[in-house]
Amino acid sequence: MKIIIIIFYFFLSFNNLNAESTVIDSGKIFKNLRCLICQGQSVADSNSDFAQTIKLVVRDQIKEGKTEKEIYRFLVEKYGEWIVYKPPLNKGNSILWLLPYLIFLIGGIMIFILLKKRPNG
Amino acid sequence: MISNFGNTILFISAFLSSFIIYISFKNLKEDKTVLKKNIYQLCLLQSTLIILSFFILISAFITSDFSLITVYQNSHTLKPLLYKISGAWGNHEGSLLLWLIILTVFSFLFLVYNNNHPKNYRLYTLITQNFLILGFLFFLIFNSNPFSLVSPIPKEGLGLNPILQDPALAIHPPLLYIGFVGSSIYFSAAISSMLSNYQGKLFAQSIKNWVLISWSFQTIGILAGSIWAYYELGWGGFWFWDPVENASLLPWFAMTALFHSLKVLEKRNLFYFWVIILCIITFILSVTGTFLVRSGILNSVHTFANDPSRGLYILLFLSLLIFGSIFILFKKFQLNDYRINPNSKETFILVNNWFMIFYLITVLLGTIYPIFTEVLTNHKVSVGPPFYNIVIIPIVVIFLFLMSIGPNVKWIKNKFENYNLLIKILLASVLINFSIVFLFKSYSLISNFIIISSIFLIISTTLDFYKCIKKKKFNFPRLTSHLAFGFMVFFIGINHNFSFEKDFNLRLGDKEKIENYTVEFKNLNLEEFKNYKAIIGKFIIENYDKKLNLTLSPEIRIYENPNTLTYEASIRSGLLKDYYITMSNIDRSEYYNVKFQKKPFMMWIWISVIFISIGGFIRLFENEKKNY
Repeated sequence: MKIIIIIFYFFLSFNNLNAESTVIDSGKIFKNLRCLICQGQSVADSNSDFAQTIKLVVRDQIKEGKTEKEIYRFLVEKYGEWIVYKPPLNKGNSILWLLPYLIFLIGGIMIFILLKKRPNG
Repeated sequence: MISNFGNTILFISAFLSSFIIYISFKNLKEDKTVLKKNIYQLCLLQSTLIILSFFILISAFITSDFSLITVYQNSHTLKPLLYKISGAWGNHEGSLLLWLIILTVFSFLFLVYNNNHPKNYRLYTLITQNFLILGFLFFLIFNSNPFSLVSPIPKEGLGLNPILQDPALAIHPPLLYIGFVGSSIYFSAAISSMLSNYQGKLFAQSIKNWVLISWSFQTIGILAGSIWAYYELGWGGFWFWDPVENASLLPWFAMTALFHSLKVLEKRNLFYFWVIILCIITFILSVTGTFLVRSGILNSVHTFANDPSRGLYILLFLSLLIFGSIFILFKKFQLNDYRINPNSKETFILVNNWFMIFYLITVLLGTIYPIFTEVLTNHKVSVGPPFYNIVIIPIVVIFLFLMSIGPNVKWIKNKFENYNLLIKILLASVLINFSIVFLFKSYSLISNFIIISSIFLIISTTLDFYKCIKKKKFNFPRLTSHLAFGFMVFFIGINHNFSFEKDFNLRLGDKEKIENYTVEFKNLNLEEFKNYKAIIGKFIIENYDKKLNLTLSPEIRIYENPNTLTYEASIRSGLLKDYYITMSNIDRSEYYNVKFQKKPFMMWIWISVIFISIGGFIRLFENEKKNY
């Protein structure tokens, strides 16, 4: 019974999640873009001319009705992968995205073997 | 004068280190079970000399002695006294001297405090530590000498980078150094433990306080840096997954794994080699961090002026450390027969280590991955916050649940009895999460998971607290840190989801409406200060619903030495939320770009982190009391 209540309220908590997903949040996009002329700053955080220009470009593209993915793709084509803080998941970056989980899996298996090996006692 | 004095002391120190190594080796071969008296004296002298040289450097900074290159490059006569002093370690050369202080002082204290442990173990530790000290002394003297002269002597210094002129940043390096440079001593102890075959429980006891000291200070040091980034960088965030931040977090993961495993070694005499590996990893990561920060190989906010020759030296030193320790480890390694019950505290601590290593590798990979792609394929990639959030956060959810259950599991063999209680706690967590979502605002699926799991940890640890008090069997250190960790994740989760940030352009006298707030640009003043000019804006924030009316004054500061503009945020901190505003001028226009942010529970994130480290300090205090 309790488990049912848990599941029920859990689903209630995020049933209206998808309501706002059609509006693109420009602030979030700015946070995910690197200001290319700054030292480790995002476009959102920077006051530079470059950042201002990128903000304009992104806002225009949102107005044109492009999706978030299309905007990132456009910027990557123009400035290279250096501009996005989230490296695209492609063949080149597969090590980056998969290795952590691979290590996690190996760690789990190692612990499992260690515990299994125990002579009955 | 000062230069000669400082240099002489450094040379004497280098000579002393070699002499300590020599005399320790000699002492090793002797049959006596006690250490020679003069070793203590030599070590005391060594740390005193290094501290003295540091004070010499500080006095050069205070008196603005620009005959020293370091002072010339990082100080200015008009700088306030506090920042003249903190300028001494706010640069590469001076901070290396701080490194050496920690190395030598810890070396001496470890020797003194471990007099109930065997002679050979202590001597090998001393020898290893002195090899480290020598390595750094050579680096200091021949590559990064803080006492190098400049001629002709300049009349005025270039000044310290203004964003480093800040109280939080003045204490940040010393705290952090006690943390990760402090890890050198258990690195040396680990090497020594293998060389002198001094293993098991006693070895664990000899290093556990040192691990705690470094971990507690590392935690506070990271916090100081984070608070600094929050109000000084003017971006409103407190963690940017910047390479330099990562460099301080990596040893923290290793230390955390280490002192959990150390508990198993102490109580059950298991995981000896794993503990050794963690000791070694912690220090190696500390040096790696130094390498990444100082060589300028990474693009980061707080990279000091960099120089490839430094990088090369540290890299060489680092490779020696790694190969040396791996070599010894391979020679001494034995596969022990572990008998661990899957349902026991030992297993849960292993699982803690498993997660820590996962975090460690993920952050390490994210930090160095861009270097590899650039060197190997000439392809520049940025790895930023989205990567870490996506990869790490789902795992944190599981981690928090395990962290709630783990501490109550018994050693050797455990039996779960209270499934019902766990389900009740889960129910309560889901309900609390639901009420937050229902009353305030809905957030993403993963945020739901994070909030639920952190509440789960908070409730179960609070119940443990209650049980402890009832049974009068206290384990406050663990409970404090775990509870604080739960709160930290909870507040970060809430902060992340309930912050808002708006930026807009305003002219003097304009008003902007955002949600229920109005932001009015009331006034603009130019004021002159001792070492900078400031354009100070006056903004009135009003909210009629909440009867809020406050004035915030962000600044644009113009420093002349060195010539820089900085944007100072104006923050009104409160128990429930911070209001945060920054402004910047827009070229060739009378508009100012204004960024207004509301950040809930910021103060509670800081307080939680303070309590995480307080847990460490209480444990340290308890351990000390037990010894007497």
